[in-house]
Amino acid sequence: MSSSVTQLPHAENGNRATASVVGLLDAQQAPILARPYYADGRPPSPITASLAQVPEILELTLPFVGRVLGPTAVDVRTKELVIVRTSALMECRYCVQTHTAVALDSGVSAEELRALRGEGEIEAVFTDPGELALLAWVDAVALGRGAVSEDVTARAKEAMGDPELVELTLVASATLMLNRYCSALGLPTSASTLSRLADEGLA
Amino acid sequence: MTAVGEMIAEGQIGDRLWFYANYHCNLRCTYCLTESAPGVERREFGKDQMLERAREAKELGFTRLGVSGGEPFLLDYMPELVTSLGSELPTIVLSNATVFNKRRLKEIEPLADLPVHVQISLDHPEPEDNDEMRGPENFRKVMEAVPKLVERGIGVRIATTLEDPDAADPHEMERLCELHRAMGVPDEDHVVRPIINRGRAASNGMGVLAGFEQLEPELTLTADGAFYSPFGPTVRGGQLDTDLLVSRTTAPVREPAETLARIVANRPAGNDASIGIR
Repeated sequence: MSSSVTQLPHAENGNRATASVVGLLDAQQAPILARPYYADGRPPSPITASLAQVPEILELTLPFVGRVLGPTAVDVRTKELVIVRTSALMECRYCVQTHTAVALDSGVSAEELRALRGEGEIEAVFTDPGELALLAWVDAVALGRGAVSEDVTARAKEAMGDPELVELTLVASATLMLNRYCSALGLPTSASTLSRLADEGLA
Repeated sequence: MTAVGEMIAEGQIGDRLWFYANYHCNLRCTYCLTESAPGVERREFGKDQMLERAREAKELGFTRLGVSGGEPFLLDYMPELVTSLGSELPTIVLSNATVFNKRRLKEIEPLADLPVHVQISLDHPEPEDNDEMRGPENFRKVMEAVPKLVERGIGVRIATTLEDPDAADPHEMERLCELHRAMGVPDEDHVVRPIINRGRAASNGMGVLAGFEQLEPELTLTADGAFYSPFGPTVRGGQLDTDLLVSRTTAPVREPAETLARIVANRPAGNDASIGIR
């Protein structure tokens, strides 16, 4: 395995289920600006339901997060590699669990997910040089201080064009923000996601 | 004129900026929207904050102010604050009129020279009926306080809140009107309004439903944020209702005012029925 990719401990830390630190607003209590995010009748995500406490922030944050983490010119599988890896490095229980399910739907295999989550060897599972360069870049972005090393930067530049590098760095950065937000506020993973992960052997 | 000012001038959003000065009260009315009572969290908005926002609201194009609570006159600074607010814009202060002792009456005397009205609740012409909803001795205290305010030249409005104003006994209403006229409050300063099914009224199964579609947009600032209507920042089971929350930001006033204007501009047409509560 490349020395640029961080070995993750089998972290129990951060994986405990918690009750939300803040109130999660239901549809009846959704402020006017938040109502479009409750319109489909399904329970909103806990990120939405917590951000609804501050509707003027919600109406800027959710479109931003949706645009950065959602479908764009960069394929969804690649984005999910970044999101799951970053979340695992940050030990964000909610983000790891939720995006493990999303990643499965985006074509990431269970074996790849275990590796991203630190439960397997990355280099034993990922063979594409571009993806390995990306994962090294993500590790440096998520865990590093100051500039990314020249070696990791050179590999990333070789694997990706500037627009892709910009976007995926922003995906990692936005994920870092959400990791701390979700962990600090103890946002709960949905029962359906936990059930899905159990079925897939990824609980 | 500001964009908000234009919407106010066109009547698209209310011309009065409301403040919730506080949430605590010496009464515990059965239909209180905010579950106000002695000992509840005060949630004071703050004297300086209200005055600053009132001055900014005037610049934006608001033409009137309102102060509600809780009981605003439980706050020692309220006479001075209302004097300042009334010097900026015509102001109405909602009060239960049970805290106007000799000192308080002296403090509010300057209001006589200002476009300020104190709106006082009186729901029934018989003490037992009135006090059943508003608490012991409320009727007597109101009947004592109103003439004292009127004598001092302070504007008084009487507000009557009923389960169903349309079904009110006309004879009872006439007796109530005779009372307020006798105290020097003319008919044009008597408002009758329904109980709103929020807060303690909802817990007690009282009142008419009122949501986004039924209420007029009137920017209302509280310690908890800006709301769509003065009927928005209600409390039920000790929890603040957020369904009519516009934003947590209340300053500069331009921000929640512009957000309210945007909400109103995007509101579906044909659903503007107003309960007409003032």
